[in-house]
Amino acid sequence: MKPIRAVLLLTVLLAWAWPPSASAQARPAPPPDDPDMDFNASQPDFTLVALPTTLRLPRFKSSFRVTHRFIRPLGQGDFGSLASDFFGLDSGAQIGLEYRFGVMRGLQAGIHRTSDRTIEFFGDYNLLQQGKNAPVGLNVTASIDGTNNFRDSYTPSLGVALSRELGKHGAVYVEPMWVNNSNPLPGELSDDNDTFMVGIGGRFRVRPTVYVVGEISPRAGYTPGVNQASVAIEKRAGGHVFQLNFSNGFGTTIGQLARGGTANSDWYMGFNISRKFF
Amino acid sequence: MRFSLTMLGGVAVVSLLAAGCDEKLSEVAGATPNLQPTFSSIQRDIFDAPDATGRPACTRCHNPQGSRFTAGLDLTSAAYANLVGVASTEQRGRLRVNPGNPDDSYVVHKIEGASDITGARMPNGGPYLSDGQILIIRRWIALGAPNN
Repeated sequence: MKPIRAVLLLTVLLAWAWPPSASAQARPAPPPDDPDMDFNASQPDFTLVALPTTLRLPRFKSSFRVTHRFIRPLGQGDFGSLASDFFGLDSGAQIGLEYRFGVMRGLQAGIHRTSDRTIEFFGDYNLLQQGKNAPVGLNVTASIDGTNNFRDSYTPSLGVALSRELGKHGAVYVEPMWVNNSNPLPGELSDDNDTFMVGIGGRFRVRPTVYVVGEISPRAGYTPGVNQASVAIEKRAGGHVFQLNFSNGFGTTIGQLARGGTANSDWYMGFNISRKFF
Repeated sequence: MRFSLTMLGGVAVVSLLAAGCDEKLSEVAGATPNLQPTFSSIQRDIFDAPDATGRPACTRCHNPQGSRFTAGLDLTSAAYANLVGVASTEQRGRLRVNPGNPDDSYVVHKIEGASDITGARMPNGGPYLSDGQILIIRRWIALGAPNN
């Protein structure tokens, strides 16, 4: 065998033999048993309607959510007009896209962008999990949103989310938050620049995969509009959660919640769809 | 636990830094970047001076030699005394500036071009005050319309 043919043959043999062993080396070791991967029937999703829950996102896993709020109030016009507008579907919407990622165990970070050009960055860190040693779950939540594609009116927030799971029947939440610079006006033109709000909500399992959800965010300080409230019904299907909701405002970021809903007489239909990638 | 405390500290620092990011009044004031919600500033930047949009100074017409169409309102040296707590000559039952109540101040209705005014929106023929300039005037009235 000529030397050059021997080298070629050796190369082919190596190429044939090498990739499987190389890919075997690159293949990550099977993850250890991570309890965060387990399904939690009381907290099937990372949000209620707009408020966060204390559900942990497994390390290096992610989740995606679409928020959609139709902008026609359900009370506008008569029923025939509303039906011909397909309950607001023909009147445009405020849409949001959200992606969150498990940075490490207990820590998740994400980005949420709404169609009014607001971008929100957020992070949740789970300090306590409900169990034998803790009667409640506790998350520290921080976020900052900015209007005009994160160029104007930055609104940072800091708060905690307390949860109490009710067996497998759902969970209730209390979420005090301080929202700085919620007022988009300069300080010289306003008495209050910040909002303190307490998100209150619950998710109740009425069927094995069906939940009823409600939340409201009473506020103090800078409080334009009305306290945003929402009710919803949702269906879990595997890693998806489909939620039909009704709200008196369009807020889906913490800054938008601090600025309140439109009016207590105006309710809007909307939906959230979330998908867990684990 | 060490990480928890580090993260909490980081979040607190970020929040405190972001807390300094309030909007600038000059961006709201637009063509009159030095405009403040004080009477002296309104006198200087709105009544006495035109701006880059082509808006004329109010005192061009509202002066002691002004025409009979200026509603008897002198906005030169006696502007404060002619405005605050003084009844409008166009609508006698309304105050030109009702301290603490911009919505019930006839001057605000005139510069906003509200549907209930008598005569023309001010400045007559435009260009009109921007939303930001009106907001600053409203704020001065909401603060009690002090002579500051």
